[in-house]
Order: sequence, then C-alpha cells, then structure tokens
Amino acid sequence: MFNLKKIKQNAPAVPILVWTGILVGIPLIYVVVLSFLSRDSLGNIVFEFTWENYKRIFDPVYLKVFYNSFLLAVLTGLITLLIGYPVAYFTANLEANRRSLAMGLIILPFWISSLLRVYGWIILLGNNGLINSLLLKFKIIDKPLTMMYNFGTVLVGTAYMLIPFMIVALYNSIDKLDRSLLEASYDLGASKWKTFFKITLPLTMPGIAGGFTLVFIPALGLFFISDLLGGGKNIFLGNLINAQIKGRNRPLAAAFSVGMIILVLLVLYIYTRITKNKKEGLFL
Amino acid sequence: MTKVLLQLKKVNKYYGNAHILKDISLDINDGEFITLLGPSGCGKTTILRCIAGLENIDSGEILLNGVSIKDLAPNKRNVNTVFQNYALFPHLNVYDNVAYGPRVQKSLDEKELRKRVAEVLELVQMSGYEKRMTHQLSGGQRQRVAIARALINEPDILLLDEPLGALDLKLRKYMQTELKHLQKQTKTTFVYVTHDQEEALNMSDRIVVINKGEIQQLGDPREIYNNPRNLFVADFIGDRNITRVEILEKNNNHFKLKLGSNIIDIKCFAAAAEDCEAGETAILAVHMDKVRIYCTETPNSLLGEVISIHYAGSQVRTEVKIDAEIVTVIEYQNSNCDYNVGDKVYLSWEESAAVLLPLEDDTEGSNV
Amino acid sequence: MKAKPQRLRTFYLSLFFVLLYIPVLAVILYSFNQSPSTAQWTGFTLDWYRQLFRDRVIAEVFKISIVVAISTSILSALLGTAAAITTLQVTEGMEKKINTVMLLPLLVPEVALGVSLLLFFSALKLPFGYLTLILSHTLFCTPYVYIMVQLRLKEIDISVIEAAKDLGAGRWQIIKTIILPLVAPSILTASLLAVAISLDDVVISTYMAGPTSTTLPVHIFSMMRVGVTPKVNALCTLILVGTFFIIGFSQFISKKSKQREEFN
Repeated sequence: MFNLKKIKQNAPAVPILVWTGILVGIPLIYVVVLSFLSRDSLGNIVFEFTWENYKRIFDPVYLKVFYNSFLLAVLTGLITLLIGYPVAYFTANLEANRRSLAMGLIILPFWISSLLRVYGWIILLGNNGLINSLLLKFKIIDKPLTMMYNFGTVLVGTAYMLIPFMIVALYNSIDKLDRSLLEASYDLGASKWKTFFKITLPLTMPGIAGGFTLVFIPALGLFFISDLLGGGKNIFLGNLINAQIKGRNRPLAAAFSVGMIILVLLVLYIYTRITKNKKEGLFL
Repeated sequence: MTKVLLQLKKVNKYYGNAHILKDISLDINDGEFITLLGPSGCGKTTILRCIAGLENIDSGEILLNGVSIKDLAPNKRNVNTVFQNYALFPHLNVYDNVAYGPRVQKSLDEKELRKRVAEVLELVQMSGYEKRMTHQLSGGQRQRVAIARALINEPDILLLDEPLGALDLKLRKYMQTELKHLQKQTKTTFVYVTHDQEEALNMSDRIVVINKGEIQQLGDPREIYNNPRNLFVADFIGDRNITRVEILEKNNNHFKLKLGSNIIDIKCFAAAAEDCEAGETAILAVHMDKVRIYCTETPNSLLGEVISIHYAGSQVRTEVKIDAEIVTVIEYQNSNCDYNVGDKVYLSWEESAAVLLPLEDDTEGSNV
Repeated sequence: MKAKPQRLRTFYLSLFFVLLYIPVLAVILYSFNQSPSTAQWTGFTLDWYRQLFRDRVIAEVFKISIVVAISTSILSALLGTAAAITTLQVTEGMEKKINTVMLLPLLVPEVALGVSLLLFFSALKLPFGYLTLILSHTLFCTPYVYIMVQLRLKEIDISVIEAAKDLGAGRWQIIKTIILPLVAPSILTASLLAVAISLDDVVISTYMAGPTSTTLPVHIFSMMRVGVTPKVNALCTLILVGTFFIIGFSQFISKKSKQREEFN
C-alpha cells in the first residue's frame, strides 16, 4: 500500500534524484550499452550487438594493463595506509593547537593543483632533476640515476597524490575512538602494542576500509600521473581508455570503462562488508 | 470561576512499539500554573510537544478553547514553548530573536514591533540588551530572552520544558520566584515540565504526577505532598520511608498495623487508605523528617536498633533497623535524647506524617 | 620515559610534512631559476613570469577556466545546498537514497565518468565547450558542497528549528530565516572549494573540452608532456598563490562564523 503522507514528505527529493539520475545514471547505462556495440571503419558506432569488445579485454596485452592498474591501485592503498596510519595516529594525539596545524598541513594539498604536485616529482626525480644534481654535485654518484619512467615512479606519484584522503579518513576514525577504552586496556594489563592491535586497530577498521576505498578508486584512473611519470612503457587503464577515445574506438573505451567500474564495485562491496552495522559512511 | 482552556482527551502516542502516552486525559484551566512532574522518560516532555504540535498524537483529541488543534501545524497553534536549552537563534541578536515570532507571522508593523519587543524585554528585565548576540549572554539571561521570545506572540498557553535545568542551584531558586511572578503578571497559562519536585511544589497551582506515560495523581501541591494516591507518588514526592505492614484491624480511618514484631495504631485520612482492608498487606509511607527518636519507651511507637548516624550539615540522618526493615530518620535540631550506634530506640511520628497505601500488583518485584 | 615516543612522533610527522611539501617547494623555487634546466641554479629571475604574461594562449584558456569555475561554483552551491536541505524533511530511507545518489559521482573513477559523459553528450549532440565543461564540473563539485552543507546541518540544534516552527514560521520561512543564514558560511567555503576543484580538474576536462576551448589544467598538462620548462613552474606558482588567496578567504569566513557560535 502506498503511504500518502510519506510520498508527500519525500516529494521534494524528486528533482534532485532526477537531475543526478540524468547526469550520472543515464551516461553510465549508456556506457554499458555502448560496450556491446560495434563500430565501422571510420570509428562511427554501429548498432549491432557484439561480445568483441569484452573478448579483447582478455587479450594478454590488455589483461596486463588491467593487472597493472589493479596492482597500482592496491599498492597505492597499502602504501598510503602504512605511511598514513602513523601520521593520523600521531596527529590525533597532538595537543589541540599543534593538531589543527598538522590537520591544516594534511588538508592543504587538496587545494594545491594536482598537476603541480606531480610536476614537482619530475623536477625532483628527473635525470637533470634536483636529486640527481645534488648527488652529482657532492660526488656521491658520477652518472645520473634513472629514477623516472617506471612502475615505481608512478606508484610514488599516485600515493603522494592520494595520501591526504587516506589520512583524513583514518584521522576521523581514530579521533572518534573513546580514549577511556585504551586506558581500560592498559589498566587491565595490556601493553601499548597489544592495546594497539587488540583495541585501536579493530576499532579503526571502518577508517582503514574507508581510506582504502577513497584511495583505490581514483588510483585506477589518474592517467595524467602515469602519463607524466611513467612514460610510454607503463600503460595503465586510464591511459588505455584515453588512447581508445583518441583512436575513436569508443565501444572498446566503453568496455574498458565498464571493467574499471567493476573493479570499483568489487572494492565498494568489500568496504560495505567491513563497515556493515557501523554508522560511519564513506563521506558523511 | 475557572474556565477550561486546554483539554487532552485520551491522548495516546507511540514511538515504534513503545507506548509513550497512555490515555492521557487532562483539563488545563485558564490562567493557572500547572506542572507536569515525573522522572525522565515518563512522557511529560512528550505531552508538552504534543500540545505544541511538535509531535503528532496517534489517537485522542486536543482541544484549545473547545476547538480541536491536534491536526494543526505548530506554527498554526497559539501556543508557544520555552525550550530546555532555550534554542535561541545563534545568528540573531536579542532584539531579532524576540521579534522573530511577529515578523514571520507578519502580525505587527516595525513600529508596533519595537514597542512590543521593548515591553516584553522589560517584563523579563532584559531592557538594554537588544543589540547583544545570544552567545554574549549568561545562562539566566538567555533564559529570559527565551521567555520573552515566547511571550511576545501572546500565546494562550506558554509551555516550559525544564527551563531551569541548565542553571545553577542559586539562580534556579531565584528564577522560580521570578517565573511565578511573571505568570501572575501576564495572567498567561503556564504548563511547566520538570523532574524536580521542589520546583513543582514551589511554583505550581496544580501538579500532574506522571510515570510510564500515565497520570498518577493530579492535585494542588499540598495534596500531592501530603496525600499521595499511590506508591509511586509517595515514593517520588518527598523523602519517605516505605515499609510493608500487615493490617490487623480497620475501623474507618483507624488502623492497627503490624510491622515486624511491633504493633501500632495509626489514623489515616488519605483516600488511598480506604482501599486497604484488614488482613491485607499494605504500604506504610512515613516522611523521613517527621519521625522522632526516643530513648525511653513511648506509647504507640516502633522499637528498633540504631545502625548508623550521618551528620550532613544542618541535618542528621539516622538509620534504624526494625526487624527486617530499615527506617531513615532526618532530624534538624538536637534530638530528644542521645543515642549511639547499637542503641535500642523508639520511633514515633505525628499523625499527618504517615500514609497507608494498598499494595499494588507491580510492587511485588520492587525493592519495597 | 615519556620523552621518547614523543620525540619519535615529532620526528615522523616532521619528516612526513617535509616530504609532502618538497615537490611543491621545488616547483616554486625553479620558477625563479635563470637556467631553463633544473640541473643547476644559475641565479634569480622573473623572466619566466614575463614570458607567461605575454602568452596569448594561456590568457585565453585561463579565461575559459575562470568562467567555467565560477559558473560551476554557483551551480553546484545551489544544487548541493538544495539537496542537503531537502534531506531535512524527507524520511530516513529517502535521506540514505539521496546520500548515495549525491555521492555517486565521487565513487566512479574520473576516467570512467569522463568517458561516459563524453559518449552521452556526443550522443545528445551537445556542442563541446563551455556547456559540457560546466555541466560535468558541476556534476563532480556538487557532492563536495552537499557533504559540507550536510555536515553543518547536522550541527544545527534541532530545537532551534522547532523553536522557529513554534513561533509561527512556515517551511520556507524556516529555510530562509534560520537554516540558510546558519549554513551560509559552509556554502561559501564549499563554493570556494568548488572553484579550486574545477580549476584543478584535468581528467574530465580532457574529454569535455571543445576543439577551440580547452581549460588551463588541460593546457598545462600538454605543456608538461612536452617537457620541463620553468614557464610551467611559473604558471603553477601563480595558480598556487591564487589558490592560497581563496583558502585564506575561506579560512577567514569559517573563523568568523565559528567565533560567533563558540558559546552556543
């Protein structure tokens, strides 16, 4: 039975749902549809059903790209977690004034142009870069080190770009922790490390899962980082999709996008399983 | 001549499966100061919110001047509320806070409004604070602004939800007198919610004692204090010793009671005592501060042993064990005699100090 | 005993912040280097900035970016605020639905979102340029406004809204006289953030830009792909300075509004 009162109460939500539905929902559905269509020799879309685009994902060359991207996103998640957890933990334990300064410094990069932040690494790591010239100057090395254009560089750049997301998610979770629980644990005889692993870590799991998700999703698709730091040798999903769009192979680009979204859904599914029954949301 | 202003008729309210208000029926007279008194979670605030329109009722009727208001939105009811935490608008100054009601209702032009705001601020002694922001005010001042803001609409009823709860003890006592005075001056009907019996007894014309969503007793403060109608009221209002007794004989208002190995005679004129019959177990409730301690045998008294004596400022709390029961006595001056822990003493009290109440079904499990 | 973990804490945090900001500082530093190569520091110069101001293309794309950023900021402020305020009166279940839908653009990787919008807009035969840029930027900026306004709304004492109702205000009056004034600082900060995000977007703008109308970040990206030149450093530095003005302004606003409510 319809509840008239509820319908009336919820009526104001309709325009919002429609607006977002049109701009997000329909394009995403369209991408899925398109990924099953063919194209003619000029790159125009032909309305003819085909599995071809998906078959091509399993081409070893493309499969390698998927694997690369997945690996990059997972490693980015892990690295930002390992580096970010102590940052968040220490920051949460600072006294009020220093804490807001530290939080300011963590949040500030959100406002700084991401291109600038990637570009900084080129200046640091390039063959003629700052690090190499310093090392040469102090005669620690006599030939520039090659630090650019490999998987590691892309990983460093991506982790650097996304670590503020991880820290903010972790911080919110750690900050919410009831300090008396930790005191109770010490009081009951647990050591600092034991308390950390038995109390702090499990209770901040939603923050860890949230931070991982927030880092994983963009890490899949920030093609400008891999473009600038990875050179031509390291192809990731973002670059591949970009290349297909430029090559006017839109159905294939659509199929790769669908593949990317499936990876995201996978992580989101794991996230909701971990944070089940918990009140914290990913953003709110 | 009293005129009924607001009528609640068999009001019921549920939150999910919880039955919050059970068949609440209550008539509120024009111009009275009526207090809803009860422990937290008893439903008193819910009654207030139902009258204000901030909650819908599930069944029953609410009539204001004989007209149903139960389906009216809060902004359509001529009833205003003073909220527990004052709920002053943080972005508006005192003047704009007070002027808010007439402005949104467009009931006054700016010139009349200025006059009216000045009047109500004068009434609550806040003249001269118009330009202050609310965060620059003390708790007591915010309280006054909240009252002024609610009174400016000239509501038929002013609802006050534990308005003194956030104030310190001294200010609370002072504001009690102020509020009572304000009510007399404005001749507005006040419906006041509190869990503090002292506030209720001090200010109210009538008190409604509420527990578990039901009205326990309705009456003036003296009646509520002296003649509790049931065990809950006896226990909640005033400090009483609650003991189980056996009724040996009943003769109109005279009872012969057995408490452990003691037998005493009492007179009880409370209505509730009429339901007590000979041969039954009943509840004897005696005000702690009206019991006297004697060292020598006294007629019609209870014999017991002193088990502890606490000195707390001007009062002395003595615990006396009478067979299985422990009775607390509060004395303010020197007692009739000197006694120490372990001494045998005799307890007696003036007639009006004791009430006899029938045993209720649900008292079985309680700590009585 | 207690000093040791504290020293470790300070050391770790300091090291982290140094690493976090070194790349940024390097960019700024080399915008003043005379030599076009980062291999050596040959002296201070403002030449690269001069070159920058003479660059017609950069002036053009900058103008486009600003127009897009400001339009985006206004649109997403309106939409995000409207959505957040709507959640106040709908049922709890509907609030959750709105949450999911509003945050959806942040859950889809930018590349996938960009591609889907590209395909969708070209199917609709929309002209690529200002329109598509503004629409797409609004799409991913609105969630930020929504989140920030929503967080502020949750802080508002519900009894303040009830008091307004009680004093005779209707639904629109409450929104106008109570809710909007109280969330205004958040809306303003969120709009500024929207400007910053829009001005920073590379991925989606790459797909949304028209043949003649590209945005500043897309242009910078193509400059960077060509190679390291101090002109890019200078440009990035200028953008950074601009951003810091925006941050300073938004900090100023939130501080002022916090001061006002400190005692409430």
